[in-house]
Amino acid sequence: MKRVSVELLKPGAKLAKPVVNDSGMILIGEGTVLKDSHIDRLQSMSISTVFVEGTAGPSKTREELLAELDDRFKKTEDEPYMQTLKRVFKEYIEGMSL
Amino acid sequence: MDIRNMRSQIENIDTLPTIPSILRKLLAVIEKPRISINEIGSFIANDPVLTSRVLKVVNSPIYGFPGRISSLNQALILLGLNVVRGMLLGVSVFEAMQKTMVGLWEHSLGCAIASRIIAKKKGLKEPEEVSIAGLLHDIGKVVMGLKFPEEYALAIADAQNGHIFMIDAEKKQFNISHADAGGWISLKWNFPQNLVEPIEYHHKPHLAKVVPLQTAVVHFADVLTRAAGFGFSGDIFVPAVNPSVWQLLNLSDDDLKDIVAEFEDSLGQAEDFLLSDEQS
Repeated sequence: MKRVSVELLKPGAKLAKPVVNDSGMILIGEGTVLKDSHIDRLQSMSISTVFVEGTAGPSKTREELLAELDDRFKKTEDEPYMQTLKRVFKEYIEGMSL
Repeated sequence: MDIRNMRSQIENIDTLPTIPSILRKLLAVIEKPRISINEIGSFIANDPVLTSRVLKVVNSPIYGFPGRISSLNQALILLGLNVVRGMLLGVSVFEAMQKTMVGLWEHSLGCAIASRIIAKKKGLKEPEEVSIAGLLHDIGKVVMGLKFPEEYALAIADAQNGHIFMIDAEKKQFNISHADAGGWISLKWNFPQNLVEPIEYHHKPHLAKVVPLQTAVVHFADVLTRAAGFGFSGDIFVPAVNPSVWQLLNLSDDDLKDIVAEFEDSLGQAEDFLLSDEQS
């Protein structure tokens, strides 16, 4: 999920969070694939940014994430159960779509 | 400094000139053992900053109803008095947390989220209350940082330069840890036992007598938050999970995978929430 300025929205972007007004009323639902008409509407309202699917900015590579995981576990990985815990996090990182 | 002296200094934190004014006002209210929903509601409503922070937190991924709570009364009814009381304290020490240690607020938020997810998985009745214990588990760090800013900065530097756990750096510098300080201050502030024990024993969860399960959840949530590398609490290292906690929680491999996946997913949303916090 990433935050995008309404001015920069392109048709086809999918909302990762609903757009709500000040009183909490949902204007456009989560998961909506935005069309030109949605974008025009958003730009005419007092809403500056929305959340769309996708990742924000340059993110870390899988190798970097795994190396950092190793660093964090290095003091305690020989303690009971810590290998199990580390493996679950490792598998999570390996399964991430980066 | 001996421990008794240390304790009385910590307990008198509300007389400090540097204490955030929002916290000073709040303490007068939360130290009352009996307070009604109306009293606390009007206290929050009188302060627009507090109101907007409370609404931001209740709509954050901590509680699992993002974007759906638009009024204070709704928040009080949905979450209950204890949760709102703890959350108020959390949001009032927000700046002090950032000042004590950059990343401590994120670490606390992460721990609150993990606590709720684990509590739900274990079928605990009040996952929101456990998440408040998670949010406040490191309150002792804030209190020590406010009371002894210079000495605490030394301990932080020591942890960083010596690549040691923050809790060991604290013990070297003060002979006590943030868990001791947090326990004292939460007793002084009349916190319920389901907050006191997780705060005091999140590093020694086997000592909890009244709420061992909640304490175990917060201990494990702290471990998970550090394993995920979310926020910063003084050192980057994952502490060892207490074997008694592992056995008590008795999570299967699949449980653990579910918890980690849900946790990482919520952390992604929390980052967005923190981002939106900076902008307003």
